[in-house]
Amino acid sequence: MVRKMKNKKAQMKIQQMAFMLIAVTLFFVFAGLFFAMIVFSDIRKAAEGLEERNALLLVSKLANSPEFACGNAFGSFKTSCIDADKAMALKNNIELYKDLKGNFWGVDGVEIKKIYPTDYAEIECDSGNYPECGKITIFQKQGIGVSNFVALCRKEGSGGFIEDKCELAKIIVYYGGDNN
Amino acid sequence: MKKNRGRDIGKRAQEEMVGFALIVIFVAIILLFLVVFYLRGQDREGIESYEINSFIQSFLHYNTDCEDYFGGVEVRKLIFKCDDGIQCLDGRNSCDVLEETLKEITRESWPFGPERPIKGYELKIITNNKEILGLYEGNQTNNFRGAMQDFTIAPDSVEVSFRAYYD
Repeated sequence: MVRKMKNKKAQMKIQQMAFMLIAVTLFFVFAGLFFAMIVFSDIRKAAEGLEERNALLLVSKLANSPEFACGNAFGSFKTSCIDADKAMALKNNIELYKDLKGNFWGVDGVEIKKIYPTDYAEIECDSGNYPECGKITIFQKQGIGVSNFVALCRKEGSGGFIEDKCELAKIIVYYGGDNN
Repeated sequence: MKKNRGRDIGKRAQEEMVGFALIVIFVAIILLFLVVFYLRGQDREGIESYEINSFIQSFLHYNTDCEDYFGGVEVRKLIFKCDDGIQCLDGRNSCDVLEETLKEITRESWPFGPERPIKGYELKIITNNKEILGLYEGNQTNNFRGAMQDFTIAPDSVEVSFRAYYD
């Protein structure tokens, strides 16, 4: 009888310990989870931000380089603005430019694509159809493409005077290609 | 009699154990909900986006088909014309042209839908604390990126903000 009582008591003690262990484990698991989620959500945000920033800085650097930038040619100074006439001149003389400067920007491709208006969106620009076209491929693309929005501006003659015409476009820079 | 008392104590202890376990589980569940709500609340703050900043800067330069004596008016200037109630040369309301142009620009630039990563967007233009344009498309999720740009042509100030909502 006493032995039976002792066994029951021992069983109770084991049960008690098991519950305590479960409770303590649960507490630490949730506390750890809480902490890890906060830390990882911050790290993820920071990593996403840095990645985006680096890629866009590369694109912005190119868009604001003298070979592309509008500068003061369209009234006031404009940032995130590409002079389409300059880009076309560069496209037509890219071989000459490459001979002189090599891969000056250290990228594997540059393309400017009109977003709006959408007329002629898929037509590649050349000296015959410009400005009724939607794509200016400065040089062949390979690798990963990073893009950013720009204003694509040009001078347009109408009714005897010249006016500025800016459209919305994306500059896409390719890097990390195999034949670098 | 003694046997019964022992059994009662044992039963009461067991009940207490079960009660304790239930409390632990209950507290753990509450903690879990708190964690989820806290993290969701954090996401709602959104991320400042360089891409959206460039988008705003670029569309402000866009020449619309609302003409004045110098040609197609830039979006930037059209905002002030809309605010001042000035019409285009062809008699159209500048606010209508502004809304139509920006609707098409955003639709082409930020395609959204259930099968795309972007679920919706909102574009707001506020002049002198008064909203003159608000475009809201798709669904607003807790995960968004946005940017805001303000500029002034004295005495008016303009605030342009754009948010893209992601999965």
